[in-house]
Amino acid sequence: MRSKAWHLIRLLPVLTIIGLWSGCAEIQQVAEEQARRSGDERLAKIIHGSGTLVSGLLPISYEEEQSIGAAISLQVVARYGGVYDQPDLTRYLNLVGRAVALTCDRPDIPYHFAVLNSDSINAFAAPAGYVFVTRGLLKQIRNEAELAAVLGHEIAHVSQKHILEVVQRSKRLAGVSEAGLAYAHQNPDVFKNLIDAAAKKLLDEGLDQDKELEGDSLGEVFAARVGYDPTAYVTLLTRLRALKGDDRAFFKTHPNFSTRIHAVQQVIQTQGWKPTGVLLENRFARVRGKI
Amino acid sequence: MKRPSRLAAPLVTLLLLNLCLLTSVALAETVFVQSKTAKLRSGKTSLDSVVADLKFGESLEVLGKEGNWLEVQTARGAKGWIFAGKTTPTKPAGGEDDVLAKLGKSFRRTEAEDVTASAGARGLDKVSEGYANRVGITQQHRDAIDRMAAYRISDQEVEDFLKQGRLGEYAQ
Repeated sequence: MRSKAWHLIRLLPVLTIIGLWSGCAEIQQVAEEQARRSGDERLAKIIHGSGTLVSGLLPISYEEEQSIGAAISLQVVARYGGVYDQPDLTRYLNLVGRAVALTCDRPDIPYHFAVLNSDSINAFAAPAGYVFVTRGLLKQIRNEAELAAVLGHEIAHVSQKHILEVVQRSKRLAGVSEAGLAYAHQNPDVFKNLIDAAAKKLLDEGLDQDKELEGDSLGEVFAARVGYDPTAYVTLLTRLRALKGDDRAFFKTHPNFSTRIHAVQQVIQTQGWKPTGVLLENRFARVRGKI
Repeated sequence: MKRPSRLAAPLVTLLLLNLCLLTSVALAETVFVQSKTAKLRSGKTSLDSVVADLKFGESLEVLGKEGNWLEVQTARGAKGWIFAGKTTPTKPAGGEDDVLAKLGKSFRRTEAEDVTASAGARGLDKVSEGYANRVGITQQHRDAIDRMAAYRISDQEVEDFLKQGRLGEYAQ
């Protein structure tokens, strides 16, 4: 006579599929408990493993993204001189950033903006909406439209989940089937390795060039949707290129300026946008002295 | 000479009506709301009254266009004007946490619940706090991330900021 366990084995793929589509971890747990009650510990482990495997293949949830984003942000802040707390500047940065974020492809999560106390010229984004701009980059910006485009670029990295892709890739390379909160909670070494790998990619090596160019193109679109002059970003990138040329070490985590300028000009041409003169220089000038 | 049939005139009229109908169908254009906050107004200025608050990703049928404003009708039948910069011709991909990500969360839920419960308004939760301990991040930097995550600006404040800067629909 066939055992209960045998019936459960036959039902395993069906249970897994039902569990997947209904989003019910309970079904997996019931099957697991049933197998355990029937005395088949091995089957219970297989069912538990199927859930683990499934969860490892699925994307990272927002709650997990928050843990990953906060951990990467700690590295960004620690390596770039800490957060520069100037109340008027912080408020202005958050107002411009949130205005741009309202029009992005993922407007339903909160975005947080901060200034890094560093003279290097750079900006970063971490998962779950953390966006950083260095004082060095802010000193090169001349108006609000330019700032909006820079923030738009970083918001695009969050909305398109570019850094989470790096984490997913690191997870696979590390042979880890799940990089979720639960696993990280029980295996802090694994979580540390994943965050260290993602932070190295973000801060030292830079994201893939196509992701950076996508950030430029989408950032340009987001800022233009708000109503800023679409040519402002080209002006800023051209100014930065004039400062140091196309030396990759200068802006080492991004493609060279000529490539980026070309990508943004392509967007402007495709959309048929013209200069509008909406730069808001005066409003930016009011916080410029506080950078 | 043979006289035209009595049916000719109604047939031609019917043909013309069909042609008009086909043309209007061909011209019917759908756009989608591409902003977390968007208002349907009774006229094509930001001073006109608000007819309805629109949701991100909501589809709108375009009835007309004037300058930077579109005259539209919602699926619920409300008619009004929306600033064109708050719409897109293609349905936005994002807007809600990915369905697959939610599914993954469900599978990982049991063990994750006690971890996320502590997250609250802080930036750091138990996992990222644990990471900070392991790599020796100073309290100053931890506090900075917490403050960053807790910083609050309402959608209304952002709207007022846009109005003050005469941006988008507030342009004159």
